[in-house]
Amino acid sequence: MIPLIFFLAIATGFLVLLFALSRRNPSAEGSAQALLEARNALQKLTLGLLPPDFVDHVFAKQDLEYVTTNTSKEIRQLFLDERKKIALAWATEIRRQIILLQHFHLGHSRHFARLSFSTEIGLALDFSVLRLECRALYLLLSLRGPYGASYVVGQTAAAAARLCAISRKYLAFLTPAEGPPLPDDSAQGGVTI
Amino acid sequence: MTFRPKHMDVQAASRDLRLRTLSQIPRPLDQLIYLASLRDYNTGLYHHDGLASRFSEEAACEALADCHREAFRQLLSTSLEEIVNELQGYMQTTSSNPVEFLAAWKGLKPYRVAVPAETDPLAAEFLFSNLKVALAILENRLRASPVPAPAAWRQPPLVQ
Repeated sequence: MIPLIFFLAIATGFLVLLFALSRRNPSAEGSAQALLEARNALQKLTLGLLPPDFVDHVFAKQDLEYVTTNTSKEIRQLFLDERKKIALAWATEIRRQIILLQHFHLGHSRHFARLSFSTEIGLALDFSVLRLECRALYLLLSLRGPYGASYVVGQTAAAAARLCAISRKYLAFLTPAEGPPLPDDSAQGGVTI
Repeated sequence: MTFRPKHMDVQAASRDLRLRTLSQIPRPLDQLIYLASLRDYNTGLYHHDGLASRFSEEAACEALADCHREAFRQLLSTSLEEIVNELQGYMQTTSSNPVEFLAAWKGLKPYRVAVPAETDPLAAEFLFSNLKVALAILENRLRASPVPAPAAWRQPPLVQ
């Protein structure tokens, strides 16, 4: 009887362990999912949201001046409403991607890169400040329109770019090493793909 | 099985496409719409018989996709003033009645399906937003100085 109870206890223990393992968060430490999310966030920020040309185009006053001098008040208002929507979407998206990157740094980066304690603290602070800046920017854009927060836009973009540069360093191992250059025949007026 | 064309073939096909076809279509907006029209809505793949016969179906497809992305990038960096001019130029080349053209573009928003696949959603929205304003500007101009309709636009007389 005693061996039976003993084996039942072991079996129950295994079942509990299996249950606990199955209940674990899918984005557990070191998971590939977290890496993928961080890499995607980094790509989205550096290639989609932060290129200076794009930011300048959205927030520069050239289009506003054209609309003000060449069109009616209604069109100007339509333009301002449209640009405000884009500006708010930009601020929201920056914050969303920064949160994804922050989650990676908080939960997973130490598994892939050796970070000193002071670096981790510094990074956590930078992320928190940037998230606050994004909130403030959203509020300013909502209240003052797309052209009422140029300075904060510049500051936010610069801070996000700085954090991206740091994150890129820690995610560098995901980027394949560059091989020898491919033969390029685009010199005769063609293009490089 | 998907066959991946060689990098050099795609380069050559892109060059050929630019030289023979896209050089005849100077405006990025026209290029964007032309290249989108070569894409199969069901598969997302591009088809161009001439280019495929000179290179391969796969190389032609990648070259067309590449040129489509480039046209989008160009249009994205274009000022609103230039977009208004491009849209006006495009409208004139279609020989449509401007009133009908503007109504169709405002209602159906055909430009929404003309962007390359995997375009950043915010970038696409930015372009759509500029096109929406450009359409309103053109509509306003048209209302201010209506263009006399050429014979082709008029209703044919009813014959008893």
